Amino acid sequence: MPDDNLPLDLAGCLERVRQRDQAAARELVDHLYPLVIRIVRSHLPRRVAEEDLAQEVFLKMFTRLDQYQGAVPFPHWVSRIAVTTCIDHLRAQKRRPEFRWADLSETEAEVLDNVITNENDVPANDALAAHELVHQLLDQLKPDDQLVIRLLDLEQKSIAEIAQLTGWNQSLIKVRAFRARRKLQKLFQELKKKERS
Amino acid sequence: MNPTNPKQPWARLTAAARHVHDDRDTAAPYGFATRVTAIAFASSRSSLSLVERFAWRAVGVAGVLAILSVALNYSALTHKAVPVEEPVADNDTVSLLLKVD
Repeated sequence: MPDDNLPLDLAGCLERVRQRDQAAARELVDHLYPLVIRIVRSHLPRRVAEEDLAQEVFLKMFTRLDQYQGAVPFPHWVSRIAVTTCIDHLRAQKRRPEFRWADLSETEAEVLDNVITNENDVPANDALAAHELVHQLLDQLKPDDQLVIRLLDLEQKSIAEIAQLTGWNQSLIKVRAFRARRKLQKLFQELKKKERS
Repeated sequence: MNPTNPKQPWARLTAAARHVHDDRDTAAPYGFATRVTAIAFASSRSSLSLVERFAWRAVGVAGVLAILSVALNYSALTHKAVPVEEPVADNDTVSLLLKVD
């Protein structure tokens, strides 16, 4: 059992994993699990269990381990695998649920009404409802656009950081962000019309 | 639409949503690492043995086919070839020309 207080010697651990040392592989999984599960949780598609997705990420990591050349830090390399695995699952979900006023809870409807009809900030005690609304609205976007907006606006990552995480070039990310925001703007206008009617 | 404009609905919604922190445990569940490692190591071994098994089977089939083809054509291989004079057709233009020459 590894001592949790000691920092993991990642290079040594990887070397032992390449020599098919199962104890080292377990140590590596335990070390990287918090990083992977955070990514999986923030991009988790509907009806997919987070543990199943995390398992898929680690299996891909072991399968592709020989391809890791050390050009980027190992956690960055694993993060990219986690992000691409999530996006593959998002793309596999062909149908996106329609966003309807009727499906919102009372608080969510109030918060949404508040943001589209006036310019007041959302009260702190409605943060949870706002969080839920943001995720429901993101579900209306294409998977790639969803990922970009989530990373930009929720996780507040820079374009360069997103490029590193996804492997997409910066222009493509900007185009996707622009397209996604235009779609969100249209959605807000439609919601405003429906709310009035 | 300027997304950074705090007056925009999306900007205000995301600003509020960012206040929600995920307090769930991020440690690997008990047995997760063991299970994942076992699957990863077993699948790499089984894929290797699958290739090996197919390779040996292919060698076996190729050997059997080689022996069968030799056995079936044994008589043809051992048969002494007898040169046969082809009868020249009388109405063959080429042969007639050659005879003239």
